[in-house]
Amino acid sequence: MGLRRDFGGIRALAGVDLHVAKGERRAVIGPNGAGKTTFFNVLTGELAATAGTVRLAGADITALRPWQRARRGLARMYQRNELFESLPAWENVALASGLREGTYRPFASPSRAERIAAQAGLARVGLEERADTPARALSHGERRQLEFAVALAQAPTVLLLDEPTAGMSPAETERIAALIASLDRSLTLLIVEHDMDVVFRLADRITVLHEGRMIAEGTPEEIRGDTQVHDVYLGKGIGA
Amino acid sequence: MSRAVVGWTAAVAVWIAIATFPQWSREWESSRYATSVIRDILIFAIFAGSLDLLVGRAGLPSLGHAAFFGAGAYAAAIVGQRLATNELLVGLGAAALVAGLLAFVIGALAVRALGIFFLMLTLALAQMVYALAYQATELTGGSNGFAGVRRPSLFGIDLASAEALYLLVAVVFALVTLLLWRVTRSPYGRALTGIRENERRMRALGYDTRTLKLSVFVLAGALAGIAGALSAYAFRFVSPNDVALGTSVTGLVIVLVGGAGTLLGPLLGAAVVLFIERVLSSSIGFSQTVLGVVFILFVVFARQGLAGLIRRAAERVRT
Repeated sequence: MGLRRDFGGIRALAGVDLHVAKGERRAVIGPNGAGKTTFFNVLTGELAATAGTVRLAGADITALRPWQRARRGLARMYQRNELFESLPAWENVALASGLREGTYRPFASPSRAERIAAQAGLARVGLEERADTPARALSHGERRQLEFAVALAQAPTVLLLDEPTAGMSPAETERIAALIASLDRSLTLLIVEHDMDVVFRLADRITVLHEGRMIAEGTPEEIRGDTQVHDVYLGKGIGA
Repeated sequence: MSRAVVGWTAAVAVWIAIATFPQWSREWESSRYATSVIRDILIFAIFAGSLDLLVGRAGLPSLGHAAFFGAGAYAAAIVGQRLATNELLVGLGAAALVAGLLAFVIGALAVRALGIFFLMLTLALAQMVYALAYQATELTGGSNGFAGVRRPSLFGIDLASAEALYLLVAVVFALVTLLLWRVTRSPYGRALTGIRENERRMRALGYDTRTLKLSVFVLAGALAGIAGALSAYAFRFVSPNDVALGTSVTGLVIVLVGGAGTLLGPLLGAAVVLFIERVLSSSIGFSQTVLGVVFILFVVFARQGLAGLIRRAAERVRT
């Protein structure tokens, strides 16, 4: 609520008030430098809020560290892939799902069950054939898919998607968009995305950021009809 | 035969060959000397193995690992003297406990820093331990060192003879290696790899990476302490050198020459480094230069170390 983030003298976020209902698909759009990724970083706790509070399911999590927020069900798909490069794809997923069994299991063997679960997670994003390939050897599109599989393996309640289709081919974009559309409605989604087709297809509501401020919020139809949004963003984006 | 069976068979065979070295080399002229060198190789392999848990697995470059080696050595020596006991489990237990506690204190401070700052913090804090060892003359003997460490006994079996002590070192080496094998292949070990590969993502996944790093720092410290205790028993002497930067550097060189993040690396690295330092140094005067050149060659041309070279050669044979 009223989130603000300053970098030195620069106000990257200038009081963003956003309330997302459980199960909602909310898109956050805006031109480059609008503060979208900063907004995500403040939500996950990777950046401290200069002012304001972050609430998750009603509880104030502003003071919690990133790992504590993650354990409360907040997961994130990064814009730049943040993977475990030397580990095979399935172990990337197993690291995400394995936490629920506990961190300190120095004498446990890697179990068949965890491998099977990881394999299922990979299959969900279409990577089942690449389970044993190290993350660094995957193509860009596959790495985005793996990034998605890792975030889903956390079994989150709120998932932040930072440009899930960035740099993907049309076919890969279609696959990811269909995957996002198929996610269970118990999961709340926040999506930062530049592909307006994807945004208008997936979002229940859209929030528009510009220079760290919210300039509009509404249903896709309302945003489409908003002249101010057209001036700062959409006009250039889709040439309407 | 599956690869696992071949691997285990080879490992057990190599261990038996090493453990029985004093017996089958008895006829050799320099058997006793060679036995003492191999004993020290095994001790340093334990030390380097514990350091590799930090460097190779968790990606934590420590330049202060000798603090725990030395703490274990002093602990075994001092406990033996003050409690007037030479019970092995008391000595090793005290060494692991003291080194582990010290690692907890140093680690609690160091894990707050990343990369080069972590390195510098471990160095600075270990130098403080060195100063302490140097000045606490009452306890440690100061610059004269602690002489006359009693060799241990286990359940009434005296381990004072060179051969018995050698076997003890070989057994502890096997146990520590088994422990490292088990731990690095567990979900805990995978989490350590996760920290090495991408600590930020680990936090985003919900891992408390600071506590995780502290835990492996304590484990590595305790194991280094056990290596230190064996060193105290072997030399019957502990000196501030055991805590000094030089010992930390030797540990790092062993890890890098042997191959960081591998189980075999510490043993191979320790064999190369101690061969140069102990054996080669008696015949040529510039053995330290040789060691330097070997180190540079590995860092520049073979980042995976000896273990990596062997693996690559094995893969070439198989295909």
